[in-house]
Amino acid sequence: MASIDLSVTPVREANELIRKFGAEGEDIDIFNPDARHHIGVGLTHPITVTIKGSAGYFCAGLTDGPRFIVERNVGWGLADNMLHGSVVVNGNASAIAGVAIRGAEVVVKGNIGSRAGQVMKEGTLLACGNASFMAGYMMYGGRLIILGDSGPQVGQDMTGGSIYVAGKVADLGTDAMLIDLPAEERDDLLAFLERYQVPFNGTFQKIVNAGKKLRYPRNEPRVRPIPFFEASGDSAYWNAKVQEDIYVKAQIGRYRIRGYGAARPMPHLSDLAFKRDLSSIPADPGLVSQVDLRTEFGGRNGGTPIKLSMPVTIAPMSYGALSKSAKLALAIASRLSDVSENTGEGGMSKEQREEAKQIIYQCLAGRLGWNIHDMNKANGLEIYISQGAKPGLGGQLMAKKVTPAIAKIRGIPAGIDLRSPSRHPDVLGADDLVIKVEEFREATGYRIPVSVKLGAGRVRDDIKIAWKDGFDFIELDGMQGSTGAAGVEVLEFVGIPTLSAIQEAVDALKEVGGYEDMPIVLMGGIKDGIDTMKALALGARAVAMGTSAIIAGGCISCLQCHVGSCVTGIATQDPEHEKRYNVPVEAQNIHRFLEGVRWQIAALTRALGYTNPHQISRDDLVALTPEAAAITRLPYAPEYRAMQEDFLRKAS
Amino acid sequence: MCGIAGILYKDTVNKAEVGKALISMLDGCQHRGPDSTGFSLYYESTPGQLRLRFIVGQGAEADKAVAMVKEKLSQYQAKIIEDERIGSSYRVVVEFDGDLQKFAFDMEHAAKLSSIGESLDIIKDVGGAHNVDDIYHVAKFEGTHGIGHVRLATESDVAPEASHPFWATGFADISIVHNGQITNYYKMRRRLEKNGYFFNTDNDSELIAVYLADKLKHGVSLNHALKSSIEDMDGTFSFLVSTKDEIGYAKDRLAAKPMVKYEDDKIIAIASEEVSLNRLFPGKALETTEPAPGTCETWHRSTSA
Repeated sequence: MASIDLSVTPVREANELIRKFGAEGEDIDIFNPDARHHIGVGLTHPITVTIKGSAGYFCAGLTDGPRFIVERNVGWGLADNMLHGSVVVNGNASAIAGVAIRGAEVVVKGNIGSRAGQVMKEGTLLACGNASFMAGYMMYGGRLIILGDSGPQVGQDMTGGSIYVAGKVADLGTDAMLIDLPAEERDDLLAFLERYQVPFNGTFQKIVNAGKKLRYPRNEPRVRPIPFFEASGDSAYWNAKVQEDIYVKAQIGRYRIRGYGAARPMPHLSDLAFKRDLSSIPADPGLVSQVDLRTEFGGRNGGTPIKLSMPVTIAPMSYGALSKSAKLALAIASRLSDVSENTGEGGMSKEQREEAKQIIYQCLAGRLGWNIHDMNKANGLEIYISQGAKPGLGGQLMAKKVTPAIAKIRGIPAGIDLRSPSRHPDVLGADDLVIKVEEFREATGYRIPVSVKLGAGRVRDDIKIAWKDGFDFIELDGMQGSTGAAGVEVLEFVGIPTLSAIQEAVDALKEVGGYEDMPIVLMGGIKDGIDTMKALALGARAVAMGTSAIIAGGCISCLQCHVGSCVTGIATQDPEHEKRYNVPVEAQNIHRFLEGVRWQIAALTRALGYTNPHQISRDDLVALTPEAAAITRLPYAPEYRAMQEDFLRKAS
Repeated sequence: MCGIAGILYKDTVNKAEVGKALISMLDGCQHRGPDSTGFSLYYESTPGQLRLRFIVGQGAEADKAVAMVKEKLSQYQAKIIEDERIGSSYRVVVEFDGDLQKFAFDMEHAAKLSSIGESLDIIKDVGGAHNVDDIYHVAKFEGTHGIGHVRLATESDVAPEASHPFWATGFADISIVHNGQITNYYKMRRRLEKNGYFFNTDNDSELIAVYLADKLKHGVSLNHALKSSIEDMDGTFSFLVSTKDEIGYAKDRLAAKPMVKYEDDKIIAIASEEVSLNRLFPGKALETTEPAPGTCETWHRSTSA
């Protein structure tokens, strides 16, 4: 039996020790915990950890296998995302106890705070006392047992799982209902209580999902799809797209959903030009070797930085929105071109990890496919706050794509229209976010950079908060960012353009003195190496490409990504459709496209007289439109338009 | 976006180490707000005397502000008993017994007013709890109660005047600390402004102070004022309020912002996180409770020895 005294050992050091003792199979007593945060996070060995007092936030979070005993209380996020193992708390637990658990058994002898069991997927959460507001909020599976009273709005927006209440049920949340308790379930519950030595001889009421909100009532009728590049057509008021839109809404009586990003015209990087005559650009394929394109970011807090062969990454796209084959092709291409891949929302598949050299692992509010093991395998962690395509909203994955395989990796019921939560259970403000970031660092021993993905809205404020919260880098997504499914009004009208986003972000970082510390990876309509160089000139460290990467890999831009029957086998989970996707061929196509981007970056770097693309600056740019000039404060110089067009013909 | 803490000693008239307790509690949750730290301290009052603290900055600008304050005070024939320039503030104790609200609004035009009260003194500045203590010697303060705040600025500036606690401009001795966001801020502010109230900042937390002061002015008890604030205010909030003799809390109906309390025969202590409460009792497992959503409570200090 080992012991750690937290009055002398800092939590960071203690967590390293806990993992070391864990590997040696030794149980641990923790003295003087004094409600400190992050005790025991990231532990993946089946040892017993006894906390002699109270613990703070995220006690036993991001763990798999251990047994925790807490002598008194715990703060927010008890057993966050715990896979297997158990926690017994002898006092009270604060808000979101048992958040996102996937198999663990969590027993609280006292009361539990609000939103207990939020987005839990599997396992059991037991409160021997009362629950507070919205117990079982958005739970996807597992059991929540409350021996006291339920508190208001129990089972709010639950999708799956069961809630058992022995005390008073105050009132039911949206889409929850009471049903009779089958006798064998009662026996299971009593056996569980007995195992944890909880005396009980009362009766239970059972609460489950009422099934009224799991699917949209009417699907969109089949119409001839209008491809993306036509949807953004000439007329700003009446056009074929408007006509189609009115027709479809008349059938379904709700907002529409589609893939891709904003199609309407707005200021973008194409409204900028390089302030030089680039007609002398050499058509020499060897010029890539004359410049140093290597790019690095993420080491701000001592983690291993992401190292890229050029300032380009693959944008986050989920396994779920995309087929496993399409994700595989992206992973292979990212390795061949030595850039980083990103998991997107749906978890990390084994094949994807094996193929990608560097992969950023995205954590969303629903914690779909999130777990400590894949965190440890990642090269970067990313806390998704929002995205450019739909700032402030969660992801959408229509039922046809929520197959048993997708449901399994995400830990949700199959066949529902999945609307991922828009808010993290444990991040309701910048103050909570600090503690969340620290949890990730503690769980992974401070080895892996942690980034934040922000959809461009109030960028100036958001970026300052991100800087204060200590993120290693930013993934900033403008309004032109695409998605696999979102409401059309949100795609087209919510957020600010990528051009405004990068300008505001750089201004904000310079205001707080953080520009050198916290690099920005810009995304949202970055098409090629030319856009990349403009983004770098405005202050980005690198860019991320999503739309252009999947077009390179065979996408025909029909906007039907959400439907699930993608003809190219990219945005589908239907094996018959996926069969059409030739992974090695498309991986090579994406790789060739990325190499084209590399050539463009190298050529521009040389043509501008530099040896490294990061030497480019605002001084190399002019604005071609008054709007772009106003946004970027670059000189308005429309006379460069002709030169720019001439250059684009050559460079593409 | 912040951390809050408050403490009231029930069993003493004025001798508890409130300053030290608040520093420990705020240091315990400094991770919630590294930008600035502030304290509302309540001294024993002397009838006919008022404590004022202004944020004047440094150097020549500060000299000018102090001169303006002195001029305004003399216009009101408020006799200066003692004064002190410390950190970025100017503290002055005066003899005054006129219309406080008019006086306060007028003093506001002389310099940035931090607080006025018979017993209240608000100390706030950029930096952590210990940084602020190094300059203003908060640890020396003894009394019965006080509240404090650590701030992470999200929308407004990092500056002493944008820090908490907030004083209810025009009302002696009422101060609040707040964690969260009031979403019907402008609607509520316009309503109060129509009734003649004055706002010093665009910070939503100031609204809570003025709102409560207005209720107290109309003879409503602090407890009832807190109750109605939960009804009237939209958004996410956990806040603490303090007056000359009471402290209290209110928590929004969504329970989006944390709050934990500890109470025994001697003290009531409330903070954003238990880790702050545990700072008062190192090595001890505390019996704490988490206030339920949409609730409030108040405690009165002992007024007899």
